[in-house]
Amino acid sequence: MNGKLILALPSKGRLMEQCNTALAKAGLTITRSGPARGYKGEIDGLPGVEVNFVSSSEIAQLLRTGAAHIGVTGEDLIRETMADADERVRFLKGLGFGRADVVVAVPACWLDVRRMADLEQMSVLFRRLHGRRVRVATKYVNLTRRFFAQTGVTGYRIAESLGATEGTPAAGLAELIVDITTTGATLGANGLKVLDDGVILESQANLVASKAAPWTPELAAIEAQIAARFHAMREA
Amino acid sequence: MPLATTPADIEALDALAQRLMGIFTRAGYERIAPAVIQPAGLFLDVVGEELRARTYVFTDPDGAELCLRPDLTVPTCRLHLERHAGGNTPARYCYSGSAFRYQPAGADRAHPREFRQAGIESFGAPDRERDDAAVLALIVEALRDAGLDGLEFRIGDLGLFTALVNALPMPERWRWRLKHQFWRPEAFRSELARLTSGAGQTMGLPRELLDRLDPADPGGAEALVIEYLDKSGHELIGARTASEIAQRLLAEAADMRETPLPAETAALIEGYVGVKAPARETVDGLARLTRGHGVDLSAGLDAYQRRLDLIGKAGVSLSGAEFSAEFGRNLEYYTGFVFEVMAPALGHKSPVAGGGRYDSLLAEVGARGQVPAVGACIHTERLLAALPEAAP
Repeated sequence: MNGKLILALPSKGRLMEQCNTALAKAGLTITRSGPARGYKGEIDGLPGVEVNFVSSSEIAQLLRTGAAHIGVTGEDLIRETMADADERVRFLKGLGFGRADVVVAVPACWLDVRRMADLEQMSVLFRRLHGRRVRVATKYVNLTRRFFAQTGVTGYRIAESLGATEGTPAAGLAELIVDITTTGATLGANGLKVLDDGVILESQANLVASKAAPWTPELAAIEAQIAARFHAMREA
Repeated sequence: MPLATTPADIEALDALAQRLMGIFTRAGYERIAPAVIQPAGLFLDVVGEELRARTYVFTDPDGAELCLRPDLTVPTCRLHLERHAGGNTPARYCYSGSAFRYQPAGADRAHPREFRQAGIESFGAPDRERDDAAVLALIVEALRDAGLDGLEFRIGDLGLFTALVNALPMPERWRWRLKHQFWRPEAFRSELARLTSGAGQTMGLPRELLDRLDPADPGGAEALVIEYLDKSGHELIGARTASEIAQRLLAEAADMRETPLPAETAALIEGYVGVKAPARETVDGLARLTRGHGVDLSAGLDAYQRRLDLIGKAGVSLSGAEFSAEFGRNLEYYTGFVFEVMAPALGHKSPVAGGGRYDSLLAEVGARGQVPAVGACIHTERLLAALPEAAP
């Protein structure tokens, strides 16, 4: 690194747009620099900062390894990437956008399953009748394992799903899913319901600092400045 | 934990493993070398997602899902079943090899991601207590032969928990649930609380449907489920059938109508789970605990005492050993006797050997029915680290 504070921001999609709006509200103007693709940038008035535009899931990796000092990404991606997130990063500020719940959803026709405890009972019978474990389709492999272990659910297998997860039960590719939802409408349209105690995480975009990054007193001061701008934005 | 890095380290570790294998083979255990790479599907179906989180799983170029073995017990079971379909042929195996586990907090010397196990597994011996004692005694003989002294022991017996739950009056499915959730302390506690107080509640399930279900009429229950789904506009999707859903709802309806578990019964179960005592005083302690509850644990306690006596006769003193009712709770496949051997130099958090009885595992891997099975392994690197400089 070049002694600058590395700030990792989402490079595309809705999260990038919402992030730009939030930055503008916080009075932080970003100028893209470097080669034509513009995956680097600067903040006007803060010469000690280098902005890197990367995909949101990569931001979690950069914060984990310390290749970025701070970044903006969803809490769901941070907690999925790091089992011990609170040991490795500091959550500086929830930014109020990118809100989504990570939930356990099962077919609405499962009248006998409302809670995680029902799921465990059901999975035992399922295994006996079908000769295999119930499959949980998700891209949140680690969040799923941790939550299921906490709630005493064991009789399942994870089927990794990288898209259209909510369609997998109807397609016969999985029995239930762990996915993000905002209003629940997509789940409902796919014949699914969220379990009563099945909310794993209420996520939103966060300003997050890496504990593994090479911090100096100067960089810590810049971090405080940036965080203060975001805090002022809320109170304004 | 010394990783074998110098030629002398490597030779010392190999020599130690060789010496342990000598003890095991002379005792009649056949040396085997199960495959390092195992089919992930079977492993994960047996050990569940919790150990999967610590297993190195990968896909080969043909798309087959494989894993590096996280222990050698399941691979030994597989090998046994390849040789003897059905699995009930008595056999004794020993092995020395590496096992692999992801360390969530990062691998270090005390928590290596790759470590050597020297172990024994005995299948199909009908006298369980005698075989438990023989396995523990052989492990102790091997440790002593390697030059380790001052062994300390911790033991448990999951058979006693089973005996207690079987002796208490409650529906069979409740017993099954308590045994099933024994491994997960939090889920166990909430299951117990539910059976004690919440049995009359519907827990969010459709009451109007539950009230109409008749346990004596499963066919009628299925029809009611289909009717209810039609009315509420939910289509059946996926592999589960209306009959399956009805079957589960019938169990819930039966629970709802059942007399809750008396508070003193729940207290007795919780009291048992908390028992920690010197191994030799366990029988008296449990007799005191259950007195006045009208439960007969004598079969379980007799087996416990007989095993203890056989271990003593085999030359292993358990006078300083601790019994813990909860011990074995984090190792799902154990079904009976469990033990750990500690070396004072390494402390109680790094046992140098451990093992136990797992009568259900061979059936899970594909045997026809339960097969008595008990095994144990020595952590070879730990043993080397615990040995005095000059030994052996």
